[in-house]
Amino acid sequence: MGGKVTCTLGEVKNRADFIVYWGGNPAECHPRHFTKYTLMQKSKFLPRGRKDRTVVLVDIRETKSAKAADHFLQVRPGKDFELLTILRALIKDQKVSEEQVAETGLSLEVLKDLIEKMKAAKFGVMFFGMGLSMTRGKHMNAAALLTLAAEMNAFTKFVAMPMRGHGNVTGADVIMRWQTGYPFGISLNRGYPRYNPGEFSTVDVLVRGDTDCAFIIGADPGATMPKPAIDHLAKVPTIVLDPHVTHTSRLSRVHITTAPAGIAAPGTGYRMDEVPMPLKPALQSPYPSDEEVVRRIRETIALRPDWMTNQPQMIEAQI
Amino acid sequence: MLRITGGTIYDPANGINGEVRDLYIADGKFSSKFDAGRTIDATGMVIMPGGVDVHTHVAGGSINFGRARTPEDHRRTHAFIRSKTRRSGLGGMAPTTFATGYLYAGMGWTTVNEAAVPVLSARHTHEELNDIPIVDKSSLVLLANNEIILDLLEEGEDERAKQIMAWYIWAAKSYGVKAVNPGGVASWKYGNDSKHLTSKISGYDHITPGTIVTKYAKMIDELGIPHPLHLHCNNLGAPGNVETTLETMRHLEGSRAHFAHLQYHAYGGDDWGNMRSEAARLAEYFNAHTNMTTDAGAVLFGDTVTITADGPWQHLLYKLTGRKWGNLDVENETGCGIVPYTYRPSNLVNAVQWAVGLELLLLINDPWRVFLSTDHPNGACFWRYPEIIQLLMCADYRNECMANLPLNIKNKISLPEISREYTLYEIATITSAGPARSLGLKHKGNLGIGKDADLVIYHQDKDIARMFGHPRYVFKGGEIVIEEGDIRETPDGKEYLIQPFYEPDIDEFLRPRFEDRYCMSFENYPVEMERIEHAQIQKCTGDDAEDGDSQ
Repeated sequence: MGGKVTCTLGEVKNRADFIVYWGGNPAECHPRHFTKYTLMQKSKFLPRGRKDRTVVLVDIRETKSAKAADHFLQVRPGKDFELLTILRALIKDQKVSEEQVAETGLSLEVLKDLIEKMKAAKFGVMFFGMGLSMTRGKHMNAAALLTLAAEMNAFTKFVAMPMRGHGNVTGADVIMRWQTGYPFGISLNRGYPRYNPGEFSTVDVLVRGDTDCAFIIGADPGATMPKPAIDHLAKVPTIVLDPHVTHTSRLSRVHITTAPAGIAAPGTGYRMDEVPMPLKPALQSPYPSDEEVVRRIRETIALRPDWMTNQPQMIEAQI
Repeated sequence: MLRITGGTIYDPANGINGEVRDLYIADGKFSSKFDAGRTIDATGMVIMPGGVDVHTHVAGGSINFGRARTPEDHRRTHAFIRSKTRRSGLGGMAPTTFATGYLYAGMGWTTVNEAAVPVLSARHTHEELNDIPIVDKSSLVLLANNEIILDLLEEGEDERAKQIMAWYIWAAKSYGVKAVNPGGVASWKYGNDSKHLTSKISGYDHITPGTIVTKYAKMIDELGIPHPLHLHCNNLGAPGNVETTLETMRHLEGSRAHFAHLQYHAYGGDDWGNMRSEAARLAEYFNAHTNMTTDAGAVLFGDTVTITADGPWQHLLYKLTGRKWGNLDVENETGCGIVPYTYRPSNLVNAVQWAVGLELLLLINDPWRVFLSTDHPNGACFWRYPEIIQLLMCADYRNECMANLPLNIKNKISLPEISREYTLYEIATITSAGPARSLGLKHKGNLGIGKDADLVIYHQDKDIARMFGHPRYVFKGGEIVIEEGDIRETPDGKEYLIQPFYEPDIDEFLRPRFEDRYCMSFENYPVEMERIEHAQIQKCTGDDAEDGDSQ
């Protein structure tokens, strides 16, 4: 079994002499990433910076990030899992047939060369984006890549990291974990946390029409979710907290304008490597922060009678 | 005001061993007077100071990584249901924050020390500590693989290294220093380890793990930090590692030191097949050297998740078990590894580990220097402490448990020859008075006048595990928080930290080195004081004022 073998971004800056981007396009989606954390930085261990690093891009098409890479490997769409599994076999000198390799759109020669370079690295890192984790195979693809990185540690130092985006999504993930044990897809409707992605994930709950209210903070599902989910948001009382008027605001019953976090409201942002960064507001805003609005709503709700009564303090086993 | 009458009191800090006395509480402290107020009749019950955990992992990036890796355990464990005054949570191998507070208080523990915090993510640790209700908290920062400090030792700049150490402690708003596999985790950054005190550290020529432990203990003593160097030795978990541990102890003669989870460092043999206990040898040395304290890091059979800054060890454990592996290297500072693990009585290595933890607790003869811990969640979860207390207090029960061990364990452990049984007085020492003294928390683990009114009242019960698992009352700061298994109140705990002295110009010395190593701005790095809820700054020795806490 694999797991998650990773590091903070400073380790990549200081040590990574071999960097793979898989199914991501940081040149356009994470514009400061190359210069701040990975390619361009010089360090005690990599004094020549970019010249001391080898960069590989694996994607289904030649994006702008390919220009920043030394090697571009064009994988056939939907064949990421196969390619990763072949690499896992090849690093252990297991046999792989020509036909299996050909299916991925790459040649055995190219893959063997890649593995040689991976094993020769002193510190390798694999970043992966939604081109891997949100296409055919989804979390199985991510698991295959994480396992490859874990298994590479039999030969040399190797780590992997998802290229996350969308503001403070990592922060939400981190806090949900310490408060409920789970990162997302959580139901609290029995009075304690339960986890089931696919059942309790926001999109599934909305598509099934399982909620009679929606409270949206700092997200715009009205722009990105499938139509049945959006239709449900329009049907129930939806409340939006956002500095801007969004697609979701337009179909909501209430939009509360809040101060933008990090610009006019303080707080903590968790970077994609889970390093917490203090947010120091540079401007003043006439609007309240998200935190203040949520606190005031909570105080008001607390005045009402509890709807969940006669519950035990604890249950020994969950059902 | 409140009065507790008729209870049998075990208060080792004041030498009170099973005497019936009344206790008075006013304003959250023990008082000498009682005018009016509620009286609690504790006749026939046992009273001890609230438990103090000197070494646990309950908050921050590493335990949260462990939570992420074990959803299958959250699903099967007990769940706390929310009410108007209580938050919901899950217990199990890596409990959620709110549940952590309920579970500790639920068995009478009122102070916990989070033993491993990277400075880089200390902000996160404090946010989690703020979400652990009822208990008071402190934390230790991981500095023994900090490359900026190691570079200074390599350059022979020891005085500057000490200043930087003080700077880091304050930057993290922490209470002391934890050293994990000194030099070994730095080597792990390139996939290596440094197992012995003379081993090479990758990237360094002049310093070894031996240099680090010796100098760190000295620097911590010179800074007057209340708790000594809190050390996780090199070569954890490996057969034959007792030599490394003894060598480390010899290096530290003349300094104060706390040896964390000594169980993992007390093995003989040279292979998994012939691994044996060397607890007796270690205890003999330990008994003769009073500069040291330790916590057991005892193992109980069952499922858990192992969590440590010792990255290379976790890679080995992953290779041994083939189970999920989490690893997080933290730039410039430390590492972190996560592997779920099941201790089985049928497994010879696990059986030896189980015996070693108990042997250390039983063979170290001064209960003021050996403390109850499981290195939660590594050896077992903290909420299983009552089971260990039962094993310590009942030799018959121990013998019963030993019957389940593999036959070929004979001659590999010394537990069958040990007949010692802990007394209640000794239990109160290893669970409360001792760890409080080691942490330098003078108002904890002590039922004396003016001390914090944290105490636990147990029913007398022949079933020791039940007695310690289900207190009649738990008081925190003079308030009843647990009554017969019910959570009554969930006050916020305090957080203890220290501000050791460093020269103000150290900032400008550090800045270029920092900017070279890290990838965040220097100004954003230190945790702001206002992020610590209910902060209590403790004095370092050499500070002007008397002991005790001040704001």
